[in-house]
Amino acid sequence: MPQDDKALLLRLKKQNVEFVIIGGVCGVLHGVSLVTQDLDVCCRFTTENLHRIEAALRGLHPRHRLTADKLPLELTDELCARLRNLYLQTDLGALDCLGEVAGVGNYEQVLARSVACQMSYGELRILDLDALIATKEAMGRDRDLAAVKQLRAIKERNEPR
Amino acid sequence: MATILDEALIAQLNAGYVCPPEAGPAWRTACAYGFDMSLVEDALQMTVEERLDSHQRALDLILELREAAQRHASG
Repeated sequence: MPQDDKALLLRLKKQNVEFVIIGGVCGVLHGVSLVTQDLDVCCRFTTENLHRIEAALRGLHPRHRLTADKLPLELTDELCARLRNLYLQTDLGALDCLGEVAGVGNYEQVLARSVACQMSYGELRILDLDALIATKEAMGRDRDLAAVKQLRAIKERNEPR
Repeated sequence: MATILDEALIAQLNAGYVCPPEAGPAWRTACAYGFDMSLVEDALQMTVEERLDSHQRALDLILELREAAQRHASG
């Protein structure tokens, strides 16, 4: 199964989805050398924004990858009101959309602790280093804590001497 | 053709990444954990977009190798 993060991000941007990149890819963008296999983003979980996500993934056969039958993504306003997270598999790879991030909070709090990255195809927002460290420490898994060691080193290197 | 082998250079070539003496405590901790921090140094020289592209290439290779291994295992 391919995983094309750039193509997924471009689709989200094109549909004006409100999102911030979190997780392993966020670490990579800060300079972490570890390879990660899915794309995690924190999104505003409003009906409008969720429908934008659905539009962004149209044609990619998006499915709820953690459900037994890998149910297709078919959003209704009623379902949108009850969703807190979306764990999706698409033809371009896995995309996890989270409404809250451990150690940081909801979308507004994540957005407040994000920084803009200028790409050739526009601006992307990613969690800032301190917030990413906070969420990885809150997750507490071995791989998160290992990544924290690199993130702390990067933070130290970035600080003025 | 005669080749003069510089012993210090050979030792350096065989040693792998050595934590620089001026590294701070966090950098030293990451080195001691076993990370090859030269990869992080390289990443920090790149733009954010280059980091994403570089990660994509690494991921593509891993997925390709995994697929090949699965094909091999299934005969």
